[in-house]
Amino acid sequence: MNVALELNGRSVGLECEPDEMLLAVLRREGLRSVRATCGIGVCGACTVLVDGEPVSGCLMLAALSAGRRVTTVEGLSSADPVPRAFVEAHAYQCGWCTPGFILTAKALLADNPDPSEAEIGEALGGNLCRCGSYVEIVAAIRRAAAELAGGALRQ
Amino acid sequence: MSASGLDARVTGQLRYAVDAERPGMLHAAFVRSPHAHARVVSIDATAVGADCVALTGEDVADLRRYGCQVRDEHVLAAVARHVGDVVAAVAAPTPRAAREAADRVEVRYEELPAVYDPVEAVEPGAPLLHPDGAHSAGEAVSIGVRPLAGTNACHRFRLVHGDVAAGFGDAEVVVQRAYRTPSAAHAPMEPHAAVAEWEDERLTIWTGTQTPFNLRADLAVAFGLDEERIRIVGGTMGGSFGAKTFVRQEAVLAALARKAGRPVKVVLDRAEEFVTLNRHPSVIRVRLGARRDGSLVAKELDCWVDTGAYADCGPGVATKLGYAGVGPYRIPHVRVDALAIYTNLPPNGAYRGYGAMQSIWASERTMDVLAAEVDLSPLELRRRNLLRDGDRFATGEVMHDVQFERCLQAAADAVDYERDPRGKGLCVLLKGMQTPSRAAISVQRAPVGYVIHTAATEMGQGMRRSLQLLGAELLGCEPGQIEIAAPDTDTSPYDTRTTSSRTTHMMGRALEEAVRDLRTNSNERGYGEIRNEGGLDPDSGQGIASTHWHQGAAAARVTVDEETGKLTVDHLHGVAYAGRIVNPEGAALQNEGALLMGLGTTLFEAIEFADGQVANANLSDYNLPATGDLPTRFTHEIIEREGADVHGLGETVLPPVPAAIGNALFSLGLDVAELPISAERVLAAVDARRERS
Repeated sequence: MNVALELNGRSVGLECEPDEMLLAVLRREGLRSVRATCGIGVCGACTVLVDGEPVSGCLMLAALSAGRRVTTVEGLSSADPVPRAFVEAHAYQCGWCTPGFILTAKALLADNPDPSEAEIGEALGGNLCRCGSYVEIVAAIRRAAAELAGGALRQ
Repeated sequence: MSASGLDARVTGQLRYAVDAERPGMLHAAFVRSPHAHARVVSIDATAVGADCVALTGEDVADLRRYGCQVRDEHVLAAVARHVGDVVAAVAAPTPRAAREAADRVEVRYEELPAVYDPVEAVEPGAPLLHPDGAHSAGEAVSIGVRPLAGTNACHRFRLVHGDVAAGFGDAEVVVQRAYRTPSAAHAPMEPHAAVAEWEDERLTIWTGTQTPFNLRADLAVAFGLDEERIRIVGGTMGGSFGAKTFVRQEAVLAALARKAGRPVKVVLDRAEEFVTLNRHPSVIRVRLGARRDGSLVAKELDCWVDTGAYADCGPGVATKLGYAGVGPYRIPHVRVDALAIYTNLPPNGAYRGYGAMQSIWASERTMDVLAAEVDLSPLELRRRNLLRDGDRFATGEVMHDVQFERCLQAAADAVDYERDPRGKGLCVLLKGMQTPSRAAISVQRAPVGYVIHTAATEMGQGMRRSLQLLGAELLGCEPGQIEIAAPDTDTSPYDTRTTSSRTTHMMGRALEEAVRDLRTNSNERGYGEIRNEGGLDPDSGQGIASTHWHQGAAAARVTVDEETGKLTVDHLHGVAYAGRIVNPEGAALQNEGALLMGLGTTLFEAIEFADGQVANANLSDYNLPATGDLPTRFTHEIIEREGADVHGLGETVLPPVPAAIGNALFSLGLDVAELPISAERVLAAVDARRERS
């Protein structure tokens, strides 16, 4: 079947099987930042944004993305403050989980521009980093929040 | 870096072994034994389909046994020795077709008696895993392996220092305790993956591995090839922690590609990861004798180290576990007996800490038990016995650049231990580095700077950044002007392996030599090589265990809900001695990562088995620490000393975490001897305290 959607800002039609997951189809499209890891939607390494909400690509049927807006880190602008903040805060080690954290952070900051550390921790509950870079990841999200707010944050 | 100038980790441009592709490649799926111990009676692969290739026993009849320390592994198992042992494999045009075809392979088994516990496995009458005596010392590679003939012990490491019987005769106080640790998953986010291709009878494998040259050597044995006819190309790994060492998926894959006549790729799924390589479960009995004033006089350690169905590096792990368990103390009389034991569990191998965590947990918990017996503060008991510069360790080595007291004091101060030790615990440790070993590197002039060729591998630990920073300092250029070429056994100079936190220490010094060579000989290319000589005699434990020591400590402050057993870590602090820090951000990340892995080990990580079958082979039932698991206070420090060598620090603060937290519980009268420290075990300790009082 062919599924029409907006992928990283472009209108595309993706060929897929009716029972194929979005993760497999995006990887076939060359979007290798979306990474098969746990297969059951608990680790967050295949996180993509669907209409701005973080979704596990391994749990969502590709067919259900029809007519929706799907974003991966390949689609982010090089000026985007969130990936930049991850670089500045050294918020990664092996880098495997990083795209999923960045997208989850973008969704969080869109909902809550000034999250506390506890709120960040809660939002990141579905993203695992086995290297254990969480301290820097939380710092990166605070840094991105400050950048987005022009330095004027409550917390 | 990518086109946008941002690090490839944030743009998604970083490529891993799972991304490797070759023209015309097929995809592999493995047929795995559902039994823990069973002889393969027959395999019927006729139903796999015309576009598939099946690999069965007769296809590998010409291949030999291999193994990094004991040659006991087969490319395909004719006798499955653990659930998940690979008995056949299939290649097909897509991963899905391969999986479906593998499921159509019919295997008949004859079940054999199995054993799952290392203590039971060395009792008389236990089923033998390798009855043909595959584990002869003559076949051993890289360390002196001492199998016990006719038993499941593939290695026995003994350390004898002084006269332990006389020592216990002098002791005024003796404590004896036993401790257990479970199996655990490395759980790198990236699974094991590789592509194998034969061309002109030459084998190339693109894979995520910490051990390119060891992998090449082992495959050369298996396939009966000269090492030069095998090429291993590595890349960045999405984490490893010891999981991607020696031969894992590569041997079957190479045999399958040989039969298919085409490149073949494999990516393991998450459940397969749990039967590929895990951490050694252990049982450790400690007997510790002291004078009333707290001076240690004698120590005995008996260790049952479960290496699973195949030895892998189990002999090395049992050895390091054995001497690390002595601890950083002056003890005149010591005896260690550590057995690496086959059981019908999946193979266990290198796991961040390499056995040190298991024996340090046992040993450092026992120190606090002794402290209570002699009525001393656990801090003071340790201080009175710590090794100091010029002291001899139990291996006979004279210790230099000794920082144990500094590390311990820093840990104690972080939790204000001396003001009030209740609810707080400490642990101090010594851990060795791979000895002997060799590290070679080359540096070449390039149009925009330099290219470094090294077989050191990147798995997130920051090897590339550290070598760029060291290189920039030595060459007088910017770190970004130094390119680190991917590890490739055809073009990288030899390196023993990227393990035991040795790379910055060993490669850093090799790089100094290479830069000197580049300058003095005004060459286009400079070459440097560092060797560290030594090793321990496996029968006496005497010799050179390590040419430099990893030194560290941890402190924990906890509270316990005695109604529910919930244990809260209010503060965890780790201290590592770095000598000199090369990459400050990377060092902090490694220290925090090791602490957090230690926290998971302490509180909840354990692979559960039912008749040898993994009962929690997924990341929902096997929990990894998440952001919300960070202790309320989570701090660390890295100690430097003017003029010191660069010390590795990738593992140092993982091993002390369980004992620091266990000792914090012990300060509240709660005595837990088995990891992980679950709510059930805390409640049992609460009940036991009630019964005692």
